[in-house]
Amino acid sequence: MEMIKADNLSYEYIKITETEKGTKQENILALNHVNLSIEQGSFVAVLGHNGSGKSTFAKHINALVRPTEGVLWVNGYDTKNEELIWDIRQSAGMVFQNPDNQLVATVVEEDIAFGPENMGVPSEEIRKRVDEALQSVGMLEYKEHSPSKLSGGQKQRIAIAGVLAMKPKCIVFDEPTAMLDPVGRKDVMETILRLNKQEGMTIILITHYMDEAVQAEKVFIIDDGNIVLEGTPKQVFPQVETLKSYGLDVPQVTETAYELKKMGIEISQDILTIEEMVGAICQLKSTI
Amino acid sequence: MIRDITIGQYYPVNSPIHRMDARVKLIITFLFIVTLFTVNTFLGYLFVVLCMAAVIKTSKVPLKFMLKGIKGIFIIIAFTAFINVFMTRGENILFEWGIFTVTTEGILIAIKMCIRLVLLVIGSSILTLTTTPIQLTDAIEYILRPFKKIGVPAHEIAMMMTIALRFIPTLLDETDKIMKAQQARGADFDSGNLLQRAKSLIPILVPLFISAFRRADELAMAMEARCYHGDENKTRMNVMVLKQSDYKAIVILVAYCIALIVLRFATTRYFII
Repeated sequence: MEMIKADNLSYEYIKITETEKGTKQENILALNHVNLSIEQGSFVAVLGHNGSGKSTFAKHINALVRPTEGVLWVNGYDTKNEELIWDIRQSAGMVFQNPDNQLVATVVEEDIAFGPENMGVPSEEIRKRVDEALQSVGMLEYKEHSPSKLSGGQKQRIAIAGVLAMKPKCIVFDEPTAMLDPVGRKDVMETILRLNKQEGMTIILITHYMDEAVQAEKVFIIDDGNIVLEGTPKQVFPQVETLKSYGLDVPQVTETAYELKKMGIEISQDILTIEEMVGAICQLKSTI
Repeated sequence: MIRDITIGQYYPVNSPIHRMDARVKLIITFLFIVTLFTVNTFLGYLFVVLCMAAVIKTSKVPLKFMLKGIKGIFIIIAFTAFINVFMTRGENILFEWGIFTVTTEGILIAIKMCIRLVLLVIGSSILTLTTTPIQLTDAIEYILRPFKKIGVPAHEIAMMMTIALRFIPTLLDETDKIMKAQQARGADFDSGNLLQRAKSLIPILVPLFISAFRRADELAMAMEARCYHGDENKTRMNVMVLKQSDYKAIVILVAYCIALIVLRFATTRYFII
């Protein structure tokens, strides 16, 4: 079943800039007739440089922004329909970039209860969900702490738990690791992967870290509001030149493989992880 | 329940006062403050002080913390005393100097005023020392709920308080960061007169405000994404229920009020000061 389906999705807004000569109006097309579909239970990464429209797309999934043209279905609901807005936000949770600016309460468990409370879940059920959600992100022992005393990675896991407590079918992560240190990044990525693999959660990860995107099942590249490239990481990342023209990096090992090939060494081009690189190099060595 | 609270003056121990329902505590404190203004004799104050001592003893909070609050309003107390001593007209003039006259009545009123202020502060300290900010906000929301019909935004007030509490440590961190960044570029916050020092704070406040607005914007979006739509159909994880001890507290409160009324009538009849 399709979790998310975009049909000719466009979003246009008017940018008003004040210059010395007066105000200037500009129509900006943040999303330009995007067509895509994301299967339930899949792990999808959306890549693009700053201002490419990837965050605007993420906000559409949560009905925080409505399409100006075209349709977006989330879990079968049309996001243009005003009455379905709470159903949509319940089916598709969202985790934002800055962990500080998405926690509401002064106590961890209160914050996690915020979503279910808004949905009108009975209090007994909320307690159960809070414990389950905290267990799921491995933060149960911090239940009664104050979020301000936690590290960035821990705060982000609390934010994930807050979304989990709403029992969504899909979670959109809008650059969740951009403000974290390497340890926090690793913890958050592990949590995301576990949610996808063990609990079958549909994950949409918006990022510009290539090593995170490599772990996804499918990758979409957005540039200037258009989906310019899509496919499995193995299909997308070897296109080093194309990716660079969109202002994106490729994983380090993929680039190394690409450079090696340019120097005339026969090496596979769809190398994405260090392990694969090690394997390929050892094979090379044995052929020499 | 010991919670990690960074602000507020909550003193985490387990006492019957701490376990009391925050709503009951809030109402008791409110009535305590109101009834305090009906007391006008030293005998009455003695009674209030004794009752308060009993409450402080049960709360297990050291007296030192209770008295901390007085330090903050020392100037107000001193000022009130000064005004009352010198400005009260009376018959028993002790001495006169220019426009200042000191009378026995004035001195008595000043003493009573000071006792009243000190008791007020300690009374409200008992509330804030034994109740977490979160319980307090919940209680305020609950108590204000009946007034929603006349347009009091009970839920919104409580939400604003919660968010303010949540962001105080965050914004403090941010202020610290901005100050350090400015200092690294040669800003000087410590020297100069008061005006110069106040002026040097402007480069801190401007970025702080901008960032606070940006945070507010992001937080609003995150709250909306988590289905926030005011208090319509909103449930609560912690439902407040009155326990037996809360009813007992209410009974004690009623007894206290009756005692104050009796004292008041008795003292006016027999002219006790």
